Amino acid sequence: MKFYVCIKMVPDVYAPIQIKDGELIMDADRMVLNAYDASAVEEALVLKEEHGGEVEVVCIGPSKASETIRKALAMGADKGVHIQTTGEEEYDSGSYARVLAAYFGDKEFDVLSLGKQSQDTDSGLTGSMVAELLDLPYATNAVGLKADGSTITVKRQGDAGQEMIDLPTPCVVTCSNDMNEPRIPNLKGIMASKRKPVDTIELSALGVDESELSAKTKVLSYEEKPAREAGKKYEGEPDEVAREVAQLLDSEANVL
Amino acid sequence: MSTLLTHIAITDGKIKRSSLEVLSRCKELADANGHTVEAVVIDANASSYTDDIQKYGATKIYTVEDPVFKNHMNTPMLKALVNVMNEVQPSLFAFASTESTKDILGALAANQGAAVLADVSSFELTDGGIKAKRPVMAAKIMSNNEAKGDKVIVSVRSGSYDLAENPVDAEVASISFSMSDDEMKATLKEIISASGDTIDLNEAEAIVAAGRGVKDEEAKNLISELAGLLNAGIGASRALTEAGVYDPSLQIGQTGKVVSPQLYIAVGISGAIQHVAGMANSKVIVAINKDPDAPIFEIADYGIVGDLYKVLPPFIEEIKKIKS
Ligand SMILES: Cc1cc2nc3c(=O)[nH]c(=O)nc-3n(C[C@H](O)[C@H](O)[C@H](O)COP(=O)(O)OP(=O)(O)OC[C@H]3O[C@@H](n4cnc5c(N)ncnc54)[C@H](O)[C@@H]3O)c2cc1C
Repeated sequence: MKFYVCIKMVPDVYAPIQIKDGELIMDADRMVLNAYDASAVEEALVLKEEHGGEVEVVCIGPSKASETIRKALAMGADKGVHIQTTGEEEYDSGSYARVLAAYFGDKEFDVLSLGKQSQDTDSGLTGSMVAELLDLPYATNAVGLKADGSTITVKRQGDAGQEMIDLPTPCVVTCSNDMNEPRIPNLKGIMASKRKPVDTIELSALGVDESELSAKTKVLSYEEKPAREAGKKYEGEPDEVAREVAQLLDSEANVL
Repeated sequence: MSTLLTHIAITDGKIKRSSLEVLSRCKELADANGHTVEAVVIDANASSYTDDIQKYGATKIYTVEDPVFKNHMNTPMLKALVNVMNEVQPSLFAFASTESTKDILGALAANQGAAVLADVSSFELTDGGIKAKRPVMAAKIMSNNEAKGDKVIVSVRSGSYDLAENPVDAEVASISFSMSDDEMKATLKEIISASGDTIDLNEAEAIVAAGRGVKDEEAKNLISELAGLLNAGIGASRALTEAGVYDPSLQIGQTGKVVSPQLYIAVGISGAIQHVAGMANSKVIVAINKDPDAPIFEIADYGIVGDLYKVLPPFIEEIKKIKS
């Protein structure tokens, strides 16, 4: 089976962040593979181990994003594709989806998977956009994946319960990190990743004109969230503090 | 004058309150800017909800009714929404942010060439679209966004706006729908639902949430008892949904549900940023944790440092007294 997994380099949400004049200032060294994409890579590797085939990762980003591709290759992906951008443009989900659709337009595969959202923006739009642009069946928020011949069975988390959905291949699946525990690359994997092929592609080679990707949505600025003030901590005899807080929820907070 | 259209979501035969919150907001914006506010309901029994919807000010309500909408499936939903957009031509199409919405929002925007902002916490109209605030970086930061174009799609976090009743006599119009089997790109085989009779977390006034500290039946029973007493929904951290202790649909956080009840009681939850991302907008937060340095205390209004097995029984006892 042929798996393509779209991966993205994102800022580490644990890194300290500052805002200056409405702009985000982050530690440039703390860029990571999007956690949801890591789950998509893991799941493709598991299915490949079961059914054979090939896992290829595709990443749109500036030259630094090659680190993210190496990480996926070290996990066990076979090949990488780096669609290079200059790193200055502001892409929104729609721009990413258009580039991916241009790349995949003439490719053959069984499953094209992505993380269900990006850990930094939490937009969660790109996957279903790509599916629509390629006119492929899709499922989002997958927490389980099974392959059986030309059918992919997706367990997806819906609003009230889990839905088992059969998709014919080729199809698009977006993955939750509740799906698996992505493997941590070992030394052997890291060494092997250095010899794996990575194709670098310019946007123009995809017939995509960067000026036409102009995003329909824009981030104008960032601001601090009004901080939630820490309230009071009650320590002491469990029986006493429990009763005290229960009383306060009634008399002071008025929520009972 | 243009049309602000709100999608009214139905689950388990009930209108989702969060979509009425969005309708209330659209009504407010329409009144202030001289626009029309309309609503659409897509369901196997769509027409049975129009009376309730018109209480919130939609002057025209579109129904799309077909048995295929009994369960959520993206292909028919998308087709219906595309029909609706083509017929109504709204300048803004607003949704409540739910798993079903997340499943189709991008595809709908791509189909319509529309600008889209997902999961916003507030939005307003501008000359050529909308401005909206969205929490980003695991909800540590707010971003100010703009979406421009003659078609804009937005989804709104639950609890962002209050309900406002504005009864009108709405015109009801049905939009025809049919779908052949070969148009169905996917097949729904089974729905595994474990949480049939629990309270919908998006609608709950109070939530009792359990984390890894809740390990056994005894602790689960204490959680259920407290939740029952407060008429609260039960939520869980990823540590517990992953361990299979609670149903995955009860997960609260970046990956799970985003909630904003009046009262949130976090029991045995450390307060990792991904969990906090889903509950930090609760009005009053109570944390019960035996580790005095747990990060959850940084955002809790009332932090009880202690073992949940020792704290919950007297806590429950006292609330019983207060309630009686
Ligand atoms: C991309 C990504 C997305 C994620 N999305 C989510 C999400 O949506 N929701 C989510 O919840 N997590 C999410 N996580 C996981 C998150 O980072 C944490 O791992 C998780 O929230 C931890 O759950 P917990 O607080 O229950 O467990 P722990 O961190 O293990 O904390 C347990 C707490 O219970 C306390 N405790 C133990 N026993 C007792 C006792 N007897 N009495 C009182 N207190 C006790 C301990 O002191 C501790 O503070 C995500 C992670 C990633 C990387």
